[in-house]
Amino acid sequence: MKKFWALLLTAAMMVCVLAGCGGKDSESDNAQGGSAGTENQGGGSGAGDSGEDATPELDMSKTVKIGILVSDATSAEALAFRTYYTEYIQKQYNVELIYSDELADAAGEAAAIDTFITNNCKAVISFSSFDRAAQIEQCEGVGVYYAVATGTLTEDEYETYKGYEHYVGAIGPSLSVEFETGYNMAKHYLDQGVKNFAIFGGAIPYYTEMHIYRAAGMLTAMIDAGGDGANYQGATDMGGVLGQIFADGEVKTGAIGDVNVLGYVGGYDMDDAWFGKCAQMAQTADLEVILAVGNGSDFFGTAIAGTNVKIASVDAYASSYGEAMEAGMLDYLAGKFSASIGPIFIATYRAALGSPIRTADGNAFALSQGYWVASSAEEFNTYYAVDSSVDAPAYTKEMLDTLLTADYAAFESFVSKYSFEEIQGM
Amino acid sequence: MKTKNKNIFKQIAGTAAIPAAAFLIVLILCSARGVKLFETEGNWILFFRAAASVMLTTFALSLNLNSGRFDFSIGSVSLLSSVISASICTSLGLPTIPMLIISIAAGAVLGMVSGLIYVIVKLPPIIVSLGVALFYEGLAFAITNGYGVSFVANTELTSFPSVLNYVLIILFGLLIFIFLFDHTKFGYEYKALVSGQKVAINTGIKEVPNAILCYTIAGALMGVVGFIRATQTGTIQMSLNFGSIGVMFTAFLPMFIGGFIGRFCNEKIGYLLGAITTAFISLMYARLNVDASIQQIVTALILVCFLIYLNNENKVIELVTLKQYRNKKTK
Repeated sequence: MKKFWALLLTAAMMVCVLAGCGGKDSESDNAQGGSAGTENQGGGSGAGDSGEDATPELDMSKTVKIGILVSDATSAEALAFRTYYTEYIQKQYNVELIYSDELADAAGEAAAIDTFITNNCKAVISFSSFDRAAQIEQCEGVGVYYAVATGTLTEDEYETYKGYEHYVGAIGPSLSVEFETGYNMAKHYLDQGVKNFAIFGGAIPYYTEMHIYRAAGMLTAMIDAGGDGANYQGATDMGGVLGQIFADGEVKTGAIGDVNVLGYVGGYDMDDAWFGKCAQMAQTADLEVILAVGNGSDFFGTAIAGTNVKIASVDAYASSYGEAMEAGMLDYLAGKFSASIGPIFIATYRAALGSPIRTADGNAFALSQGYWVASSAEEFNTYYAVDSSVDAPAYTKEMLDTLLTADYAAFESFVSKYSFEEIQGM
Repeated sequence: MKTKNKNIFKQIAGTAAIPAAAFLIVLILCSARGVKLFETEGNWILFFRAAASVMLTTFALSLNLNSGRFDFSIGSVSLLSSVISASICTSLGLPTIPMLIISIAAGAVLGMVSGLIYVIVKLPPIIVSLGVALFYEGLAFAITNGYGVSFVANTELTSFPSVLNYVLIILFGLLIFIFLFDHTKFGYEYKALVSGQKVAINTGIKEVPNAILCYTIAGALMGVVGFIRATQTGTIQMSLNFGSIGVMFTAFLPMFIGGFIGRFCNEKIGYLLGAITTAFISLMYARLNVDASIQQIVTALILVCFLIYLNNENKVIELVTLKQYRNKKTK
């Protein structure tokens, strides 16, 4: 009797194991159907058909796990990026994207990468920048591909890591693009004859480079428009202004020729004193425009209600900004578009599949991307409709599939055409 | 008669000393920099808003802390109740007063749930409140898909900030709190439990319903705080991973100050005066544009110095008395 039960149990276990294997196969098959298309899945979707012709050398039959490091899980920008990856990319490609918790420091980044490695992730896309160098070293050490999304390495870091086998590269607004963004924002108003500004410095007190460069761009535009002898604390060019902000850890108020910086608030303290400072700045006499290096309307919107003060921000395309624009509180938005992280995904995916994109001299790439600028509610709505779509986002699967076999030159050309009109024309 | 007058004078002086000293110091610092402390209506609004929100937070914190229940979840209750009320009001187009009422009701329910969890699972309140804080933060995140709530363009809801409205909140909050804790059976039972739990229970006071009611009241108070914070800017930013806990720390200094002032008058009035003291300091930070890092250092120093004084008060008095005695002796 015992033998009978032992045999029955063994048989049952065998059936379970085989059934499990069968399930895995069918699941894998299903995944293939939804992927870019593979050689052994000829009868897939239209997209799969094109993928079959375009990507003969890439075996996309197996689900690739990619870890996503995030230090911000709540901003409009971070949420838009996450929606694009989880609601679009993950459904179009045979990938599993595993998100980290909201990271607060370099130790958290290291722990999250360890978790990714334990989860058999083949690559990491990082939106977190507490210690990029340590992240790259950690991934290189275990043979996991690593890419930087919506950011760049410093020149020194790039020189150090560009030759690393597992460092894929970075795509994001370079610091010169950040400078240009601030410059263009201020110039937009200076060209209209605006003379009295206030600046919201966001993370300048924490020495966040992108915010410092944006503010430097604003001040440089004011120097250029301020007439003879205009200067910011003695500085007359980009380098001088940058040096001054880095030295002070803030933007100083005062006259720049015949242009005035009437107020400045930095940081994100969010306490009573900070909100008091924001309200005070927004209600400064003669103020015309608040230039924000980050989100401006959320912090100053109510304070300027009923006045003619305008707000210009740098952030992402979120519905709340649309409402603020309709209500006349937000006047100008330089926003990242959510699909801008599509190309870095393709580059990372390709690397994980064994076909990394390298520059002509065999190094990791460092490419720059800019913002979509909306200066009216109509413009905002046009951009937002595309940016918030999870069915037809700015970079669709068909567009991204062209990168699966692209060489570096074609990849670079694709990334460099980031304006709304250029993307729509692709 | 002389002794009675002396006592009244001592009470008034003890009650007013700290806020008056804070006001004078702040005034001197501002004058030295050529800045008027109250220059615009915005400065008054900031002052009364800070006083109102800090006073209510101090009530909510002290209510459970005096009973030995450390509640880390009050910030998350404030966050989630404002998310609920703002979401309902923006979608139904409701004005300010319904938003305030919904916020209070939601806060009370959330506080009650927090209290129920505490009495059911019987774990230390610190652990329970940390779990509840994470849960409520996550819930607020899930309800808004992470985007928070923005009603910057809703001029009705963002019209609430005014001196009169904040003064009314302070007055009603103080009166209701005094009534509940000084003039009801619940209040007497609460005091009995605070001063001697075992004895109180032996006399027939039920600890569990009292604790749940404390959590419920604290939740309702934090609902008002959430409402004040939300209508201030018209946006509610999300917090994750205990990001909401910071709200609680704004109440420590006024709570200790209130406890000290409570020797000379009603403790609740002490909390209000503690909140007014911190509101003076906040206004000074704003008027003098004090850097955040310096603010933190100054606030921490004030708190530490005050605690050092409270813990060594007898020694200080002894020292002063001894000096006076020696002086007399020498003469």
